[in-house]
Amino acid sequence: MPQVAFTTNSAYKIRSKPTGPPMLPKEVASSLSTQWPCRDLQIRQLASLLSPHVPSPPTLVVHGISATCKSTILRAVLATVEVPHAIVRSSECITGRHLLTKILWNTLETLGQKEEWEKSGKGRCEQVSGLAVLLEECLAARPVDNQGKFVLVLDEIDRQREAPHTLLSALARLGEIIPSLCVLLVLSSTPRPLFLQSAAVPHVSFPPYTRKEAIHIILSSDAPVLDGLPDETSSRVYPYFVSTVYDSLVGPTAGSIPDFRSICDRLWPRFVAPVVNGETPPGGNDEWDFSRLLVKNRAIFRHQGESALVHRIVPDETPASAKRAPLAKTAMPSALPSLPYFSTLILTSAYLASHTPQRLDTIFFSKFSSSSLSARNKRAHHRRRLKVLSQAQAEERQAANDDPSTPNKKGKRTKTRITKSTLSSAFATSSATTSAIGGGAGIAGPSTILTAPTPLRVAAVADRIYAELATLRRLRLVVPAASHSAMATSSGNTTADAGDKWCVNVSGDWVGELAKGIGVEVGEWLAGGLD
Amino acid sequence: MDADGLNDALGLSNDKSQNLGAYIYQPSKHGKSAWERPSKRRKVSSTADRDEQLNRQRFVPLLNGDENTESVQLRHDTYRELWSKQENKIQDILEDVDAGVLTDVLSFVRDTSLQTCDGCIPTALVTVGSNVSSLSRLLSRLNGQLISTEEGSVVVLESGDAPNLKTTLKNIIRAAVTNTDGNDGYQKFLTDRAGPRLLGYDLDLLHDYVQRKGTKKLVLALRDSEAFDPGLLTDLLSLFKSWLDRIPFTVLLGISTSVELFEGRLPRSCVALLQGKHFEVQEAGNCVDRIYETLQTDPDTNLWLGRNVTSTLFENTSDYFQSPEAFSRMVKYAYMSHFFANPLAVLLAKPDSTVIAQNKLCEAVRNLPSFRMFCEDLVEEGPTKQVRDMLEDDEYLIQETPKYLEANQQRMRNMFQAVRVVHVCLQYTQSTKKANVSDLSVRALSGELSESPIVEEMVAAAKTLDSDKLDELLVRLGAIINNPEANAIQEDLRTLLETCSESGPLRSGYSINSTVTKTTVVQQRIRLSKGQADLSEQAVEYTNIVDRLVALLQVHLTESLINPQDLFLHEAFLFDLRNPLKETFAPRPRFAIERALATPFDYLLSSSDVTMAKVSAKQPATSILYQLYLDSGALVNVHDLWQAFYGVFETEEADGCDDRVVMSLFYGALSELKAFGVIKNSRKKTDHLAKSAWMGL
Repeated sequence: MPQVAFTTNSAYKIRSKPTGPPMLPKEVASSLSTQWPCRDLQIRQLASLLSPHVPSPPTLVVHGISATCKSTILRAVLATVEVPHAIVRSSECITGRHLLTKILWNTLETLGQKEEWEKSGKGRCEQVSGLAVLLEECLAARPVDNQGKFVLVLDEIDRQREAPHTLLSALARLGEIIPSLCVLLVLSSTPRPLFLQSAAVPHVSFPPYTRKEAIHIILSSDAPVLDGLPDETSSRVYPYFVSTVYDSLVGPTAGSIPDFRSICDRLWPRFVAPVVNGETPPGGNDEWDFSRLLVKNRAIFRHQGESALVHRIVPDETPASAKRAPLAKTAMPSALPSLPYFSTLILTSAYLASHTPQRLDTIFFSKFSSSSLSARNKRAHHRRRLKVLSQAQAEERQAANDDPSTPNKKGKRTKTRITKSTLSSAFATSSATTSAIGGGAGIAGPSTILTAPTPLRVAAVADRIYAELATLRRLRLVVPAASHSAMATSSGNTTADAGDKWCVNVSGDWVGELAKGIGVEVGEWLAGGLD
Repeated sequence: MDADGLNDALGLSNDKSQNLGAYIYQPSKHGKSAWERPSKRRKVSSTADRDEQLNRQRFVPLLNGDENTESVQLRHDTYRELWSKQENKIQDILEDVDAGVLTDVLSFVRDTSLQTCDGCIPTALVTVGSNVSSLSRLLSRLNGQLISTEEGSVVVLESGDAPNLKTTLKNIIRAAVTNTDGNDGYQKFLTDRAGPRLLGYDLDLLHDYVQRKGTKKLVLALRDSEAFDPGLLTDLLSLFKSWLDRIPFTVLLGISTSVELFEGRLPRSCVALLQGKHFEVQEAGNCVDRIYETLQTDPDTNLWLGRNVTSTLFENTSDYFQSPEAFSRMVKYAYMSHFFANPLAVLLAKPDSTVIAQNKLCEAVRNLPSFRMFCEDLVEEGPTKQVRDMLEDDEYLIQETPKYLEANQQRMRNMFQAVRVVHVCLQYTQSTKKANVSDLSVRALSGELSESPIVEEMVAAAKTLDSDKLDELLVRLGAIINNPEANAIQEDLRTLLETCSESGPLRSGYSINSTVTKTTVVQQRIRLSKGQADLSEQAVEYTNIVDRLVALLQVHLTESLINPQDLFLHEAFLFDLRNPLKETFAPRPRFAIERALATPFDYLLSSSDVTMAKVSAKQPATSILYQLYLDSGALVNVHDLWQAFYGVFETEEADGCDDRVVMSLFYGALSELKAFGVIKNSRKKTDHLAKSAWMGL
């Protein structure tokens, strides 16, 4: 389905005389079906409901999930049946007031009364009741021979930001108040019964495309042209390929038609690569057929196909090499950022502090127990014990890591709260051990390995901790515990006084990798972390 | 030679203000003072005069105030001149560093459009790492380029500008319009429109603007993308997406962590709106290294940063988020403190002898530790006449000092050239770990480089180089060492290579390939003996060349890698005080407050002579309470605290102290501690206080 870009202002211009006889719904459907197949029923419904010669219902609801061609069909039908209409995209309106103003404006523009804006409330409109009055006035101001019906399309009206809860039902009343107006609400979610608080509003449903329809749509355009691929092979193999892609990738994930098309376009060159490269088909045959290509390219549907489903901001630069080991590539940890030494240390200690039960704090993070033998034994004991406890969890995580379909799946979000004191005590350990090294103390126990490669060189760290913590917070590696739940609503993220508890916002593996860079082995300090 | 010695020598510690126990801060009163007219009515010309006057008196006379104004002025001017030169160099480096990314981003912005991105918003992801400031440099240059070619402009948005959708849109529109038309242009743009006044956040405004200007690319740069609220970002991007067919947006996201992390935090639906490319800005570390190298090793440098300063500078860069600009500010501060506080800095201005004679500068020079060392050396060498002259004859000293200064500065320059030589050689010989100029400089500045294992290994490795690599090395060395011998070696090598160009690279007699291990069995024991393999004639000749080069290198390095602290007058051209720099750029307010509370007599003058080991009633009440608080656990019973507090006063003033007065002191102290944020009411027990700060943590 080609996405045709319409502008909001591309509204129907009123013509003085209708040209030619009106089209019947059937004719409208047949003329539009060539461009947008498999939507005959909806086109016929809309065409008959909106026809300029038949009275329309005051309100009409069009609903269906995204990428089912609602808006495109609607625009096409309105253009074809030649009824005056104005379209407002609700997603472009920031507030309810903005929406009402926009409705008024687009209506005025379509009616050619833009110059007379001062008459209609000076272009201002803050209430739906006001809108009703103003709309009625401008519709009445039309020339007498043009007093036909007027269609107002509100696209994605259920996604309106800052909408008062009465907005939808109030808008639905507009058509009842103004007889010549037909309000058309386009929803992308399935409406609940009587959501407009009025009975018997006609609904036109746009269901998702079925398998047959989707394949039909894709096949209605030709296979992508490739150099070195004979047309004959292409036309023979492509239909099978498309249906295989649908069955394996698109159907199970409820993908939309544009997704389907882009996956086909991306995978097709790889799929027929053996033919293009002139490899000899197996089994003594001298020609590739679909089943042989499929057997050869099983991997495509397993790994690359799944990665093709996930949209990336930066598209994969090396699409051709099918020989690379896909598992090894995707299982690699993501590239690490280059945080300065001190920030990394703070992040690591924050992670440690949040992952150690409070009762074990004294064993793991006490200045006095860091080097003594008994404390080490105790630590080792706790590491083992907790490991046994969390073995089931660990296995589950292992499975998640091995699963190639989720290459970037985060580990379990850490919800443990860290208090300032545990963070600090975790931190104090590291500084205590390193100061021992810096001072050249004779005993360098195993615990001093903690930061041995790059000893901490700053004497007064207390003043620096909060500054670096603020930076980490700006990067959202650490988020305040209080606003963690309310992160979506409040964006006052950089204010200081949101409490003194934080959550680590990144996965443990990631922190571990980062900590290795500064010579800290996280597992050594984590209860149940040592394998 | 430590900092204290230098302080003594320069008479810095005589300054009375340093011995004061406490400072009283008196904010200057603005506005309503009886004798001054309100600042509003002040004439412009008079302020200009005052500024000029201030400018002249920015530096204070040193040497106990005996320094004359001329020399103060000279110090100031020299500083200005020196720093402006260095600043230009730094700017050049910064621009050069950004140039690569800038062209990449610019071409991306020009080439991509809605169509090339499959209907997604074209997005440039720029990872900046810890080099945060580089993005704003990049953006301002990008903006300049786009405006100059009238293709469009850049709108920079920070997370602070984006508290909610409405304000964000308002800010974007305003920034886009003011960027080209100025603030008045924005006001005009809002008012001079046909039709009704639109709401400030209506993107129709931006659309209108884009149409008027004929903008082809409107780059919207989010400088700190991570700090944006994800929900807001999603809203904003979906809005852009729906306007994309009318307003040619390109989004540029600055990312400090990594692309994967950033992408993972956004909702899928938001990621699906974006498509683009990833750019990487060079790390701050590289940039800083280059700046440092240029500042120190440039042949016309007059003032150098010492070992302590260097290590402080690099510590800051590697440990914290620090931009190259911040680095250059620290260097500037170092230069400034040198010229501000060191009267000898006037020597760098190459003043007339009259200027030196008028001051007590001769006395200052004679008090230098390096002068003493210098004299001792002279005495050991024999002639005492010169030493006597220098000690007694001002004229002679004035005459000699600039000569020595010049000579020793030249030796410093040579030393840094040697550092560069070592650095270049290391690039050829060292395969695993790359030592950078800053590390080498720190070693050289402490006089350890010539004996360090790095240099020894380097020389050993240089012997085994084959002729191709050696040729490259010589070319690069030739640019640094201006020595006829080096040129001769290079020419000899060339002629040798020309004679045997077909036989591939030559190897010297020191490389592994040309030593042979012989195995002989003597009395049932195996004896290994190494011997030279037979070398071809050319190889022998090549070995000779290598020998000559190594000898040259060794002579050159031992000659020039001296300990700068041994140089006479190094106090004048080497700034090596760690303290002002460290305290200024890493202040420790918390430490200071804790110390003041715990041991108040460190700051306040004590009336009694008793050493204050413990709590006493003579201390301020807040401090007494704080010390008691330090002794307590995480939860403190208020009554216990009050008892202890009262006890302090009771013991000292045995004859009945007024407990109402003590009580009021106690409440005052308690509320002050609360204001500091060290205690708060506990929710667990009503009559308890919770401790919320620990000393030193």
